[in-house]
Amino acid sequence: MKMKTSRVIILTVVAVLLAAYILFPFALVVLNSFKAQSAIVSNPISTAGASVQQFLQNLNSVVNNKAFVFWHAFGSSTLVTVISLVLLAVFGGMAAWVICRNKTRWSTVIYMVFISSMIIPFQVVMLPLIATFREVGKFVGLGMNGTLPGLIFAYLGFGGAMTVFILTGFIKGIPYELEEAAAIDGCSPEGTFFRIIFPLLKPTIVTVTILNGMWIWNDYLLPSILLGQNNPNKTLPVAVQSFVGSFVKSWDLILTAALLAMIPMIVIFILAQKHIMDGMVQGAIK
Amino acid sequence: MASISFRNVTKIYDGADKPVVPNLNLEIADKEFIILVGPSGCGKSTTLRMIAGLESISSGELYIGDRLVNNVPPKDRDIAMVFQNYALYPHMSVYKNIAFGLTLRNVPKDEIDKRVHEAAKILDLEHLLERKPKALSGGQRQRVALGRAMVRNPAVFLLDEPLSNLDAKLRTSMRSEIARLHRRLDTTFVYVTHDQTEAMTMGDRIVVMKDGLIQQYDTPKVLYDTPCNLFVAGFIGSPQMNFLEATIAAEDGKLFAVLRDTKLEIPDFKCEALKPYIGKEVILGIRPEDFLPVEYRTDTNCLYAKVDFCELLGAETNMYLFVQDKKVIVKMPSYEEHPVEEYIRVAVKADRMHFFDKETEQAICH
Ligand SMILES: Nc1ncnc2c1ncn2[C@@H]1O[C@H](COP(=O)(O)OP(=O)(O)OP(=O)(O)O)[C@@H](O)[C@H]1O
Ligand SMILES: [Mg+2]
Repeated sequence: MKMKTSRVIILTVVAVLLAAYILFPFALVVLNSFKAQSAIVSNPISTAGASVQQFLQNLNSVVNNKAFVFWHAFGSSTLVTVISLVLLAVFGGMAAWVICRNKTRWSTVIYMVFISSMIIPFQVVMLPLIATFREVGKFVGLGMNGTLPGLIFAYLGFGGAMTVFILTGFIKGIPYELEEAAAIDGCSPEGTFFRIIFPLLKPTIVTVTILNGMWIWNDYLLPSILLGQNNPNKTLPVAVQSFVGSFVKSWDLILTAALLAMIPMIVIFILAQKHIMDGMVQGAIK
Repeated sequence: MASISFRNVTKIYDGADKPVVPNLNLEIADKEFIILVGPSGCGKSTTLRMIAGLESISSGELYIGDRLVNNVPPKDRDIAMVFQNYALYPHMSVYKNIAFGLTLRNVPKDEIDKRVHEAAKILDLEHLLERKPKALSGGQRQRVALGRAMVRNPAVFLLDEPLSNLDAKLRTSMRSEIARLHRRLDTTFVYVTHDQTEAMTMGDRIVVMKDGLIQQYDTPKVLYDTPCNLFVAGFIGSPQMNFLEATIAAEDGKLFAVLRDTKLEIPDFKCEALKPYIGKEVILGIRPEDFLPVEYRTDTNCLYAKVDFCELLGAETNMYLFVQDKKVIVKMPSYEEHPVEEYIRVAVKADRMHFFDKETEQAICH
């Protein structure tokens, strides 16, 4: 009994420390976005100089900044994230379904290729990617470098592996009889996917979408390489970089912009919390 | 018209070296209730799934009605199937589950509504239409699965062990429900089971299968009275038929089945077929229920047996006996108790004895 309570106390302490460690940078961002540049530079961890008024002022300078074009960047980020996520969910689900239900040698090979692409770090492929994309762009007759479709295309590639990997595991758990029943009821293969498989995958898709979403929304490296600093359609994380000049770093504006960029994700996370938990718990017991 | 006709149908699964179903020939008449029965792994489900189109046919021809359906996809075969584990769509309400097939076929909304409610009424599901399958009991799920098949008015109804996941009591009531459904729908039913009682009580005709081969295909009564071989004799009937080794002997113009210490007189009408076996060993089959009541236990036509134990079921008694070290079950329509290891006599209904060839295991006479 005593053992148990002391263990609970230790676990709680560890959890609190861990949470503090993880939340500390976030708290720093929030705190300092309420301060002016001079106050931040003089002491970033004190509350001195923080005020709502200053926050509103920072906000105003960020949103109305000519060089930063907040709303445009916000729009680009939203577009890229939403379209990538929808396509990832649909195509990832389709790929996982076919891989799972077609037990041929080729499906195993394709699955292995998906898995192995997860092991390769992005940094290894990022430079050849530009050259490859130029060729791909020529092939499909669509500019791939420096355009949003190109960026979305890249996310489909980089996000596909994990999406397929996770969804395959869940599709294995769906009884095959459901698909047979659907075939007898009159479903075409597409019908079976969209009316039976996809709805059943919903909790998992929510989880996968959140994971992909956080990564795509926050990603800096890929859009900075593919779109470039001076692209008019650059995404939020790249745009925040424009406050970093060669000589001055406007910390007040950087942190406020970073906070603004984080908010949509946090809101979505809170709203979808129940689904995320469902998806994860289901994964645990099934 | 929905007769079903298998003509030299063979099924080999990919990668298997020998066929699961070799050369199947089977004619099922329109509106018949057919039972496929046999031990586990004998190819019942495979046969049913070939009718459904869920399993390809390796060679031979399968007709539904007059149509060759070898290459017709399941949805165009005018069939409905009820699966062992129900296979209800978990994300749809009961109503949507039942209506799904009709929705896909673009049946008008009010027609769908009418048919779903009609089916729900017959199956007593009206109060459950808005629920998800998760919130239903096994029996209710089973009825939804039946409803889903029913509303489409299929020409052929396929059922693969639909009752095996239900408890004994529910099984009994669902059994009569399905039989009633068959009378009402008046379509062809093909029903897979390995349950004795279901096979005997539900079907017009029974197909007994073993290793993918049809052993016998006839009405329950014929299968019970005149099983064509040892396998069918042992498979149909519960408790199982008793098998004893006996020698055929002729004496004073009469034939006898001679066991080590007893002699059973064979009625005249069986003698003709048994004549070639005089002096040879045969297998004698006697059903547990084919023994005469206590008052017939005289010296003639009795087996001499040692009691293993008695199962008292109230109105009747199952006696487990040893006849020359062979287990024999005797069903008595009365209350009867014997101490263990006591020796008793049990009288055989001589006209109900079955004889089988020891080598070929085929029936000689009944
Ligand atoms: N997809 C498959 N691939 C290979 N072999 C299979 C496949 N499905 C079934 N079999 C084999 O075919 C044989 C017959 O299977 P089937 O399912 O038809 O038996 P069954 O009579 O329905 O048995 P049960 O009463 O256990 O359901 C079995 O030996 C089984 O192992
Ligand atoms: Mg089976």
